[in-house]
Amino acid sequence: METGSIIVFTCNWDAYSGLETAGAKRHSYQPEIIPIKLMCLGRISTGIILKVFERGADGVFLIGCPKDECKYYFGNKHAKTIVAEAQELLTLLGYSSGRLKMDSIAAGEGDKFTEKVRDFAEGLSKISEGV
Amino acid sequence: MTGIQSNMKTMREIINQNRVTLCLTCGKCSSVCPITRWENREYISPRLLVEKAASGEDDQIFNDLLFWSCITCGQCTELCPSDVDFCGFIRDMRVLARKENLTGACTHGDAIQTWARIMTDPELKQNRIGWVNDDLKISDKSDTIYFTGCLPYYDIMFRDLGSESIKVAQSAIKILNKTGIEPYVMKNERCCGHDQIWEGDVKTFKALAELNIDQFKSIGAKRIITTCPECAYTIKYDYPKSVGEYGMEVMHITEYMAEQVSKGKIDFVNDQEKQTVTYHDPCRLGRSMGVYDAPRKVLRELGYHTVEMKKNRSAGLCCGTSCWTSCGKTNKKIQTERLGQAKETEAEMLVTACIKCQVHFKCAQKDKMLENEIGIQIHDLTILAAERLKS
Repeated sequence: METGSIIVFTCNWDAYSGLETAGAKRHSYQPEIIPIKLMCLGRISTGIILKVFERGADGVFLIGCPKDECKYYFGNKHAKTIVAEAQELLTLLGYSSGRLKMDSIAAGEGDKFTEKVRDFAEGLSKISEGV
Repeated sequence: MTGIQSNMKTMREIINQNRVTLCLTCGKCSSVCPITRWENREYISPRLLVEKAASGEDDQIFNDLLFWSCITCGQCTELCPSDVDFCGFIRDMRVLARKENLTGACTHGDAIQTWARIMTDPELKQNRIGWVNDDLKISDKSDTIYFTGCLPYYDIMFRDLGSESIKVAQSAIKILNKTGIEPYVMKNERCCGHDQIWEGDVKTFKALAELNIDQFKSIGAKRIITTCPECAYTIKYDYPKSVGEYGMEVMHITEYMAEQVSKGKIDFVNDQEKQTVTYHDPCRLGRSMGVYDAPRKVLRELGYHTVEMKKNRSAGLCCGTSCWTSCGKTNKKIQTERLGQAKETEAEMLVTACIKCQVHFKCAQKDKMLENEIGIQIHDLTILAAERLKS
């Protein structure tokens, strides 16, 4: 992984189907963005998020299924707790809060997927410019 | 398997330095080793591992089940009639094992080791002293540094267990203030590196230690006080040995409190009904630093009736896990055994002076099925002392 990358964790279901739709529609987003598919966002752990930052990433964005629509029932609820914990640790470590974010899209929402990751990447470049 | 870098010891050097070849195979170490007692996958013991090393079966050492599961509690080293330093041997050998990309099984998703590695960045600007509230007085010019350790981080990580991390730090400042000291709290303090050096990650350890020593020197204090026995041990003994001198006295808060009590500079309210408590000796504070009497003295001063567990002082059992690594069912059995010993004393409370001990015990207590055997209140000595300061 190169320094300055942006890691986008997607779940295998709604979020990944969004990413596939975006691909089918030939959408484009910033080249720093590297999507990584997880079976469910519930797989994420504080350790994984911290490790991404340790390796020099600029930001971590997690996209999962909408609230109450997790295919495993508790996955995105669990991810939310983990992200909150990681956020607090990152704040202590001195990282600005915009560098970690969690969001959701419904199945097949390719436009929304592209829009969200683009916004996140733009937000990060604003943070690094100190705006 | 020889030293790749010039400053790295070879396996033979490690074996000789830790007097491994002097082993008499008496088996005293195996009789006290908590891992030997509870590991049921195969029979492992410090004696067998030492024998492998002494007889030159070098390739077998790293594959031994005990090699990464050893909690370096030091009970074996304490008892050994030949003075074999088994913990020292394990610690040095793990450095070599790291070179071959071997590590212990990580627990907590490696989060704790990762933030320690993030802290090796010299540019890092942490926001770690948010816990210092208006009631606590700290100063930018002080001859005493209060070394917080990872307490603000543990507070977030182990909130679900009800760990008293931040309260420990706040209580320490309260006690220091009471004795007329406004300590310096480092805004950009790094992890002390205890877990890194004991797990063989000397690169991270040295980077962390250098950053801390630079800050110590720039403050120009005379004394460092910690609330974590591991920080105290590492800063006191490992920093000068592995990184460099910084010319400061290092004390654990219990030593400081006992000293102040002797001098009559600190008074506690002890008019409450005598509660029976039992004290758990953290390994680094007890066996490694030899501080057994200070915490007991403070407990008596606080008006508690103290009872000892079956295994206490230098024979005290470890809290079960070390370095946030390789925690599993064997470790839980050790924790259960220790809490059981506390319960047997019929004390109302188990007092510790180490945040890690507290986290490990509280984690074991999450098993509600064992409530009758191991259910006991657990508190940190620093907090108990701060609550009873005479106003």
